[in-house]
Amino acid sequence: MRQQMEEALLKSDVEYAEIRIEDESKSWANFRGVALDSVGSSKTVGGMVRALYKGAWGYADFNDLKNLKVRVKEACESAKLIGKDKSKLARVEPVQHMTRFLLEKDFRNIPLSEKISVIQEYNDILLNYHEKIETTNVMYRDSFRKIWYANTEGTYIEDERPYATAYISATAKDGDNIQPGRESIGSSAGFQVVEGLHEKAEKAAKRAVDLLAAPPVKGGKYTVVTNPRLTGVFAHEAFGHLSESDFVYENERMKEIMVLGRRFGPNNLNIIDDGSFPDQQGTLKYDDEGVKTRQNYLIKDGILVGRLHSRETAATMGESVTGNARALAYHNEPIVRMTNTYINKGQSAFDDMIKDVKLGIYALDMIGGQTTMEMFTFSAGYAYMIRDGQICELIRDVVLTGNVFNTLMNIDMIGDDLQWAPGGPGGCGKGGQSGLTVGIGGPHIRIQDVVVGGRQ
Amino acid sequence: MIVEKIVEKAMKKAQGASAVLRRIKSDDIAFENDKLKSAKSSQSTAINLRVILDGKEGSSQTTDINDIDGLVERTLEVAEFGSKVHFDFPPFQEAPEVKVYDESVNDVNKDEMVNTSQEMMDIVKSYNSDILLHSGVEKSVRSAEYANSSGCQFSMQGTGFGMYVYGSWIRGTDILHAGHGFSWRKREVDHKAIAEKAVEFFRMAENTAKISSGEMSVIFLPQSIDVLLLALRMGFNGKNVFLGASPLAGKLGQKITDERFSLTDDPLIDYADNSGPYDSEGVTHQRTPLIENGTAVNFLYDLETAGKAGTKSTGNGPGCNPSNLVIDTGNTSYEQMIKDTKEGLIVNSVIGLGQGNPISGEFSVNVQLGYKIENGEVVGRVKDTMLAGNTYHALNNIESIGDKTEWNYGGVLTPTIKIKNLSIISK
Ligand SMILES: [Zn+2]
Repeated sequence: MRQQMEEALLKSDVEYAEIRIEDESKSWANFRGVALDSVGSSKTVGGMVRALYKGAWGYADFNDLKNLKVRVKEACESAKLIGKDKSKLARVEPVQHMTRFLLEKDFRNIPLSEKISVIQEYNDILLNYHEKIETTNVMYRDSFRKIWYANTEGTYIEDERPYATAYISATAKDGDNIQPGRESIGSSAGFQVVEGLHEKAEKAAKRAVDLLAAPPVKGGKYTVVTNPRLTGVFAHEAFGHLSESDFVYENERMKEIMVLGRRFGPNNLNIIDDGSFPDQQGTLKYDDEGVKTRQNYLIKDGILVGRLHSRETAATMGESVTGNARALAYHNEPIVRMTNTYINKGQSAFDDMIKDVKLGIYALDMIGGQTTMEMFTFSAGYAYMIRDGQICELIRDVVLTGNVFNTLMNIDMIGDDLQWAPGGPGGCGKGGQSGLTVGIGGPHIRIQDVVVGGRQ
Repeated sequence: MIVEKIVEKAMKKAQGASAVLRRIKSDDIAFENDKLKSAKSSQSTAINLRVILDGKEGSSQTTDINDIDGLVERTLEVAEFGSKVHFDFPPFQEAPEVKVYDESVNDVNKDEMVNTSQEMMDIVKSYNSDILLHSGVEKSVRSAEYANSSGCQFSMQGTGFGMYVYGSWIRGTDILHAGHGFSWRKREVDHKAIAEKAVEFFRMAENTAKISSGEMSVIFLPQSIDVLLLALRMGFNGKNVFLGASPLAGKLGQKITDERFSLTDDPLIDYADNSGPYDSEGVTHQRTPLIENGTAVNFLYDLETAGKAGTKSTGNGPGCNPSNLVIDTGNTSYEQMIKDTKEGLIVNSVIGLGQGNPISGEFSVNVQLGYKIENGEVVGRVKDTMLAGNTYHALNNIESIGDKTEWNYGGVLTPTIKIKNLSIISK
């Protein structure tokens, strides 16, 4: 493969070009209710050539690997057709690197029958939990991606990216009232991570049934305490996306807003993105431009100190590369993405966060979130009312919203209990590339004056 | 055809098989931050095989057209542990009339795409040069070949063409995103009208307005209709109905919305994004009314789910998902809807949709772009505002339905809909 790629790159007649090729094998199984709903496998081979000429990119993506030279030409022609400016690409030392992943239990050697029987046990737990459990959705999925990368500067990387995930969801029903309980896990460590999830299954079933009796949250402004998993989504949505510098690098107004040294949060707020943090969802040795990942402080002591870059955005802004150019799949171009983003732990004990809250919400786990830079939402899996310093009744439909220019400032307590979220089948979406695995984490935090949607 | 050979090979061991080969070639160009930034050419090939072995089904996919033996082998292997089947692959049926191919899309070159995009940007820039723009044009040519063991085979060709112009207008720390886009299967698109619509969305947001928290009328533009449609997409899915996960299970023939509301799944509209003669299981497409004058009349089915539920596939396979959704018009003009509103909200786009318990109908979203109406007039953009409600409740509280339909991209054709008494929480 290496020789083919390097020979094809010789056809490049532009300033810079690269080829990324991917071979992915997947398998999956899915129970819906009592029955196995689908079982399958897939094999995908494809690649992309990216060429830079006078500030513009030409791309060619393909499944047919036979004519790599033609694809290189095609990408170069596209770039030359539209390039009229000046190219900017941060310098990085060329590297030669090969990653081999050692899975503790390699899912490629595990028969499909075993994958099915593992999740069938979880499905049975859900179905037998309670008469109000109407149906289930229990899924197993694994993917092993091998990636070859070469560019015209002499970098050559072979990488392996395995991922196995399980999703356990119960639906409880009482008349027109339908409530979900969901748990998931995902990891690159091997098949063992999806084993032994019986307790998680029980938790999912219990939550679905409990939510049937929970009232919807009353809309309004609340003091909110988030658990570590939801804090992770908050860090990702409230600030992570805003620190992706492709939103900033050619936007003078955004540069004014995102000027380094500006205060965004209280003194004890630290937000970090770190692709080199071991064994998390977004951990990578090199990003999809061949740049080594590293720890990047975004907010330090409440002050904006850094942002996430591709080689192009780093050069344009005159800042250092950060290793954050990631492509979802072979046919996607690398764009600036987060890796593992977290709020660092502080000093508050959980009990102290709750004890003086008159009326508030303790919001746990996540369903997801979305942002438009200034405003963002994040949704809790479930939540409890806090009344007079006590955690009280379970409530449902808790979607929180904030505005980056005041919500971060409203964080008044940061817990001492940093944890990472367990991963799963979903992921981050941006620019038509949805489902990218990212790590999110943090401690419990308390935020004042959070707007929560709902009926009054 | 390759797919015939694949089916033949699979049938040496299997009792049923179907194969689809899809090829897509597409090209696009994109402007970012006012600058021409990228041009892309894509080629993709994918083969999907399903087999039935001893009453069980397995499926497998490959992108390698030379890996047919491997594909057949892997699929048979999977089927051994597969799910029990309740259907047979369909025999050949004559294709219904629907146009999805436009020869002239082939002739569009990148220069022309660049010009189209540039003209859209010029229109927005001439309204306000402070708006920083992203814009692009995409075209595609697709083909599909299908064969199964019941003797059905056919091939289809389609084209795709679409464009967008979006921008951000930043004043201090106030960030406004707006824009518009459209895609379908035909070259003929009024790109200037798209840009003018984008300008209108910016113009309505020139001022910022404070909205009070409470219950008020909310007008959903075609661009935001998914807030109301998401629960229906999931609720009319035959698989969710069969499993009891849909709140509509057991409600066929019952009134579920206001009588003025009718919804149809229609894959036979010429040149619409999700149109075509057959679904991916070789079943002919058909128009399926879902809600007729407020009454639930049909659910959507694929082969397997129909087999289990004792009914027939509606050509929505696999997966029982809708194709193009069409909502019938009412008789109120958009201008009148605004005039009739004392205090209310117009919604253009939201964030956070679907991140809760959408199948139940509940929604709770941030109004990414929305406008306040005060005494019959649009007064400006609202911010930091949450909108919450329940789709089924909302569709029983329709105040009025617009007298014109508009495409929300190329897959939903809908009028503007005004709902009474939705809950707004604003900072
Ligand atoms: Zn994200």
